[in-house]
Amino acid sequence: MVSSNARPRVRRKKNPISFMAIKDAANAYGMIAPFFILLGVFSFYVFYSGFRMSVSDAQGISAGDYIGFQNYKDLLYADEFASAEFWRAVKVTFKFMFGCLATQVPAAFLLAFVLNQIPLLRIRVILRSAFFLPVLINTVVISILFRMFFLRDTGIINHVLGLLHLPNNIDWLMNSEWALTLLVIVSFWQWTGFHMVYFLSQLQTIDPTLYEAARLDGASPVKVLFRITLPLMRPAITFVMVTSAIGCLQMFDMVFILFPNASYGPGGVAKTLVAYIYDQGFSQEFLTGFASAIGWLTFLIIMLVSLLQLKMLGLGKHDEA
Amino acid sequence: MSGKAKKSENISKLGRLTPIQLVGITILCIIAAFYLYPLFWMFDSSFRPATDIFQFPPVLFQHFFKAIQDYSLQSFKTAIVDWNVLLSFLMSVIVTVGGILGTLLVCSLCAYAFAYLEFPGRSGLFILILGTMMLPATTMVVPFYKVISTLGLSDNLLALILPAAMSAFGVFLLRQFYIKIPRALMESARIDGASHIRIWWNVIIPLSRPALAALSIVQFRTLWNDFLNPMIILKSDTLFTLPVKIQVMDSQHFNKPYDAIIATGFLTALVPMIFFMIFQRQFIEGLTGGMKE
Repeated sequence: MVSSNARPRVRRKKNPISFMAIKDAANAYGMIAPFFILLGVFSFYVFYSGFRMSVSDAQGISAGDYIGFQNYKDLLYADEFASAEFWRAVKVTFKFMFGCLATQVPAAFLLAFVLNQIPLLRIRVILRSAFFLPVLINTVVISILFRMFFLRDTGIINHVLGLLHLPNNIDWLMNSEWALTLLVIVSFWQWTGFHMVYFLSQLQTIDPTLYEAARLDGASPVKVLFRITLPLMRPAITFVMVTSAIGCLQMFDMVFILFPNASYGPGGVAKTLVAYIYDQGFSQEFLTGFASAIGWLTFLIIMLVSLLQLKMLGLGKHDEA
Repeated sequence: MSGKAKKSENISKLGRLTPIQLVGITILCIIAAFYLYPLFWMFDSSFRPATDIFQFPPVLFQHFFKAIQDYSLQSFKTAIVDWNVLLSFLMSVIVTVGGILGTLLVCSLCAYAFAYLEFPGRSGLFILILGTMMLPATTMVVPFYKVISTLGLSDNLLALILPAAMSAFGVFLLRQFYIKIPRALMESARIDGASHIRIWWNVIIPLSRPALAALSIVQFRTLWNDFLNPMIILKSDTLFTLPVKIQVMDSQHFNKPYDAIIATGFLTALVPMIFFMIFQRQFIEGLTGGMKE
């Protein structure tokens, strides 16, 4: 091994197009190539081809003819039946999102806050795990479990209600007024622990001396919460709000499985946007062009919601979601 | 979680808690017990014959006092013999392991370039990657299927493995980790004339094991629980992953085999839970790693 000091070192000028720089760049492009090829095919090209399909009357795998923005017009206002169904799906999806955010985020925050007060690390870890477990389980499995709980005659829910002498003959799964609430309940069970973990890890980054100082200054616990804890939790709150909104707006698995035989609730009352896409694109009709248009509209809606949220909550420093 | 559990932390510490804290812990434990009841019910039901699952009234807490000898493996037998669930289990394992390996390879190479190399368009491309994290892929399920068909990958497990390997979060997480590795290690290897690929393989990969573990565990959860993609891509009965198999059993209009469904569901849920028990720290780190500096 010849030591590198043997040769007199020639000091090269910092030349932006030196041989080394070119070699490094070539190396770098080679190393990022696999990722970007996959990204190009499975992300950008998919979005592009989705747009191409959405302006055609494609059915199944046949390409179809260019029909301009007819699909979009039909969905938004032109076709009475399609637009009614589309706007209903939008409404259902948004209601689901608001229901989830309004229940899960405060509950997760409260849980994290209380857990963080527990001085015993071991108990804290055990409790954290307990609330986190549902996050690990497949939505398909969870939805089937809860469907069995909600069954009218043999479900646990009605049984417990009976024990409490409450009305216990409601057919939860066949009652259109309850459909969305059921989804929000199941989603609550599945995801609250997930958000809690984010809040917990952010709470632990808060410098305890801040609390110490506030206590010495005689600040009330409520004031400490609103003046210290919440502002410092903003990155985590933003992150959780934005990511779970994106997740909720794409909800499919749960509504597909929870109601028996892919009915999306009695009379399809709980058909979300992605369920609508699946229905149109992969059901008997295979209206791939039309379904792609729903997909693009859904995509735009989700982007809009995310941007609005980021604007309202303020983009934290480290929460590149 | 900060730090390791100290040995001094034991039951004797319980005595030093204020009454309020004790009450709080007790209440939380009760809530947690209720919260986990569905899982307990699933565990319990999967060891009972189908007739027992739908007893009326449902057996609620008397299970605790019921003799364990009531338990049978009948539901698992039905699932395995009638529904070929073991094969689905294998398919789920193949997709998950393949997807994880693909992710680690593709993302760590890419993160290496973004962490250590200068090249034109570096920051722009990195922002592009971060931007794709927010793209809701599910909305494009129809064109995705078409692209997969065009590539001749429909009804092929590769169609599930390849897209999963492209994890923007993975590149982000690994780059975060790489920039903390002292550059001197790499510089000295460069002076010794090692190529970047060699440095990546011999220096960076061994050093970044914790980050790779965290990323693996996050991907594991995603891949193992994926449902919509496998459902639309897989057509052959022999290739179905577990969630798709459960959906197939569940789509029987008459006499849904609820016993086999619950047993399979329990198996499906058990795997990530076991992994979580073992790799709890990596789980939490992998999930929150993108948030903390």
